[in-house]
Amino acid sequence: MLKKLLIITFIFIVSHLNIARAEDSLPILSGVGGEFTAMNADGIEVELSSFAGKVLVIAFGYTNCADICPFTLGYLKRLYGELSVEEQQMMRMMFVTVDPEYDTPEHLKAFIGHFNKDFIGLSGTQEQIDYIVSLYQAEYNRLSVLNIPTQNIRRVTPKLFADEKSAKEDSASLYSHSVTLYLIDKEGYTRSLEYTGTPIEVFTGKIRQLINEQ
Amino acid sequence: MNNKVRIKAHIFLVISLLLLAVSVNSAAAKQPQIELEGFWVVLPPTVARSTAGYGIIKNTGTEADILLGIRSNAGTVMLHKTELSSGMARMVHMDSIRIEEQSEWVLEPLSFHLMFTELCPIVFIEGGRVRLLFEFEKSGVIELEVPIKSNW
Repeated sequence: MLKKLLIITFIFIVSHLNIARAEDSLPILSGVGGEFTAMNADGIEVELSSFAGKVLVIAFGYTNCADICPFTLGYLKRLYGELSVEEQQMMRMMFVTVDPEYDTPEHLKAFIGHFNKDFIGLSGTQEQIDYIVSLYQAEYNRLSVLNIPTQNIRRVTPKLFADEKSAKEDSASLYSHSVTLYLIDKEGYTRSLEYTGTPIEVFTGKIRQLINEQ
Repeated sequence: MNNKVRIKAHIFLVISLLLLAVSVNSAAAKQPQIELEGFWVVLPPTVARSTAGYGIIKNTGTEADILLGIRSNAGTVMLHKTELSSGMARMVHMDSIRIEEQSEWVLEPLSFHLMFTELCPIVFIEGGRVRLLFEFEKSGVIELEVPIKSNW
């Protein structure tokens, strides 16, 4: 009970400190981010500078992720919903796949569109993705199904719906990856690192601050 | 002398019976009591190959139980945990789950979760329901029908 109380108090204090800090100018995080090229949902090459004048939130992940990626996109949908229409027009939510082989632009468009049609899915060549990941000091690792005990599931459901094709697809790779959400200003500078657990009001406060920056 | 021996024998017999009764009684009373609460499954995008389910497994009984497996009409089900460490998320497969007596196992986003693969498209529709069969070592099979909901 005491432990829970201490945790709640800690979260409360940290949240309020964050709100207070949000009022201050957000520093440029040098060495994190930069110009890159990727493929958008329509298969067209875009650059970070293509979005100059917009505030960006960039997340890394992949569509075969069952827990954190859909949860993060759900969180970003809630976050986006807290902004006014005018504010939404001044910012973009971006999801960069770490699995471009499976997450083609077309596939990403359908996946991301489930959460919000305005969200942008970015894919590209493996080299392009690796470059973006390195720019943002993010990380990802391919966990071959063969290398993790997931395959050794006890008493799983018989493959009632699986044919040979889907069985092959389900042996596709899983990944560990960075969970940071990068807040980018209108000039492309990284200004804050957030997480799916950041209180919505704190995150929207920072987005608004960057939208309103001259 | 004989009386004393007889009395001692009676006392010994009574104590033995009492101990036996207590032992049998306590063994009979010790059993798990599994309750499954608040389970739901995330409505995945139509192109998704996997999704997650969450809820709470409670054991209000007096003995631990082990979750042996989960089956579903919605696809293959695995028990996973998202581990967050140094800003990285990693998915870990759970081989077995032991739910101690008077305890609960919470499955929630960014932590333990049911991972569904080989999704059955006719089940995963807005407002649909998923049938789950939890098989426990001592409590047997517990069937549950849970809602499919968006995760926002």
